[in-house]
Amino acid sequence: MNASIELVNLRKAYGKFLAVNDLSLTVPAGTVFGLLGPNGAGKTTTIRMMMDIIAPDSGEVRFSSRPRTRADLERVGYLPEERGLYRKMTVFDHLVFLGELHGVARRASAPEITDWLDRVGLADAGKKKIEELSKGMQQKVQLIGTLLHDPEIVILDEPFSGLDPINQGLFKDVLAEYRRRGKTILFSTHVMEQAEKLCDALALISGGKVILSGGMQEIKNRYGGLAYRLVASGDLDGLAEVEGIESSGLHDGYARMLLSENTDPAELLRRLVEAYDVQEFRSDAPTLEEIFIAAVGEATAGEATGFQP
Amino acid sequence: MNGVTIIAKREYMARIKSKAFWLGTVAIPVLMAAWAILPSLILSKTKAEQRLAVVDRTETLSQGLADQLGGLAERTSNRVAFEIVDIDTSLPDDQLRVDLDRRVLDEEINAWVWIGADALESGTVEYHAESLSNFITQSALERALSRVARRERFSRAGYDAAAIEELSDSINLETVKVSEDGSQEEGGFGGFALAVGLFIILYTTTLIYGQQVMLGVLDEKSSRVVEVLASSVTPFELLTGKLAGIGMIGLTQLSIWLLTAILLTAPGLVAAVSFIPTGVNLPTISLAIGVHFILLFLLGYFLYSSFYAMVGSAFNNPQEAQQLASLAVIFIVLPWFFFMPVLNDPDSTLAVVTSLIPPFTPSLMMLRIATKAPPLWQVLLGYVLTTGTCFGMLWLSSRVYRVGILMYGKKPTFKELWRWIRYA
Repeated sequence: MNASIELVNLRKAYGKFLAVNDLSLTVPAGTVFGLLGPNGAGKTTTIRMMMDIIAPDSGEVRFSSRPRTRADLERVGYLPEERGLYRKMTVFDHLVFLGELHGVARRASAPEITDWLDRVGLADAGKKKIEELSKGMQQKVQLIGTLLHDPEIVILDEPFSGLDPINQGLFKDVLAEYRRRGKTILFSTHVMEQAEKLCDALALISGGKVILSGGMQEIKNRYGGLAYRLVASGDLDGLAEVEGIESSGLHDGYARMLLSENTDPAELLRRLVEAYDVQEFRSDAPTLEEIFIAAVGEATAGEATGFQP
Repeated sequence: MNGVTIIAKREYMARIKSKAFWLGTVAIPVLMAAWAILPSLILSKTKAEQRLAVVDRTETLSQGLADQLGGLAERTSNRVAFEIVDIDTSLPDDQLRVDLDRRVLDEEINAWVWIGADALESGTVEYHAESLSNFITQSALERALSRVARRERFSRAGYDAAAIEELSDSINLETVKVSEDGSQEEGGFGGFALAVGLFIILYTTTLIYGQQVMLGVLDEKSSRVVEVLASSVTPFELLTGKLAGIGMIGLTQLSIWLLTAILLTAPGLVAAVSFIPTGVNLPTISLAIGVHFILLFLLGYFLYSSFYAMVGSAFNNPQEAQQLASLAVIFIVLPWFFFMPVLNDPDSTLAVVTSLIPPFTPSLMMLRIATKAPPLWQVLLGYVLTTGTCFGMLWLSSRVYRVGILMYGKKPTFKELWRWIRYA
């Protein structure tokens, strides 16, 4: 079963500070969705409202096109940005407890826990107390706790912050597996490169507002994702005549081309190789970070966001 | 299982498995017993030694005093060993006094007693020593002197001193408690010990478990566990689950103590072991007292621990929380001031009024119930008022708690706390 998330006109103010300002977005079922933005953009507040940890001043959170209920949250795996475990509990007991909180009885969760601990290389740690584990091991336990009940929706707030490289790899593998299984995954991050590699779709938020959202490719196309760079010998003036190229311009030592939509770059390259002695052909698309800076610039031209006038 | 049960179960299991719980369960009664018994035990085993010089200007009392003090040594209850040092008393008074002072300073003697020529008429005798804090020694000496003086006065007035002494033997009260379920003989000391014991247990457990709730909340907050829990249970479920779990731990501990006490004081066992001296009546814990004790513990626990939970949720560490937490300590400790008056007259206006003030009801009502069954309406009124206050405190606490557990950073001001309470 697939579940989508819709946020409709969410708004949350802390005193005079408007943390989330009329925010609406849709996370399609079965996608990996990135909630991007700088620190203080309102990502955590938005996620907390999704999880019913704080109540919005106005607006609504919907799962699968119905208003979200407390019961729906049992199908969600949530990893908060600030996270911790009871230090005096054993790993196994702690995971059983987290399972119970999501409606999984000990009998059902026990074999799952053993499998998970095996998978992340903590097979012998079940009887150890949390405080005896290294930070990296605790992060693994935390991840297991989030996914133990096999949720339909996974919501991770800054999941990669503070992770060692091995755990980053583990988290990414697990996300990839969940994506294959058609689960809906939403995570927030302020590190654009991560989002670029992992997301199918994203929303950029700044000052509590969505300033850009959509599919990854669509956004890239919109912000010059169809730009390619060609280094070749021969007369490049006629490039614009080649089928599939919208326009082109000559620069020092290379040509920058804008492909027309629906052009397959591989097909184009084949045609170019026939006509020129191609030395280099690569995408000249802006990075997500560049897009983000451009979008924030457009959205906030002249006005300070976040504070009410 | 719902959220409250899961949280309560975790709190209970985490504590019942900890060494600290079992250590406390054993150590607290041992410490309490030690606190009650040791001082008198130590006192009874140690004897003060007092080397005394006596100057008797009446010429009639010193022999009697020597006999009295000598006779003391044979009594087991006596705590002072007197030794009278012979000195030359023929010197003039002024010189003699200086000489005696020097002997004290040279530690030849501990003290000297000056029985003036008019001692029998004036009723005073001088006692000179380097230290005057030895009350036990002084009162023993005073009693001995009084007896000797009394006997001498009787003789002078023409009475038979020995006969009078025999006739003026003191009377001991043999106390019998009257109660609804038929009168039963009971040592006054037993009833007193029971009342005091239950009062102290209620007061300490309320304090200990309240603090545990506060530290638990602070720990969840500072370790950020609460962030993980907050999505699965509501703050109210988290709060009530925590209070219930730790409350159950409290009940477990009290049950262990109560059962042990009942077993230890069971007549058969006492007879078998007979480690308790004959003549001491042990208090018996009736079912009614046991039930009141449990109910009053629960009321006191919920009242104070919900306050403690509120304090824990509002601050970031125990140091910050201490200021507000000490307010609870004041309320828990205040009944100590009413302890003696209530014990002495459980039906006095003071006792009735203070035992109906909700923060004091758990301990003071227990004290009254254990000493003399108060009128039913007062007990019921106490329960109703305290239960109401409990719910009020729980409501207040849950208001602050739901905001506080997710707030980090700077210590909130009272104004901010008030705003949290009023949030929708």
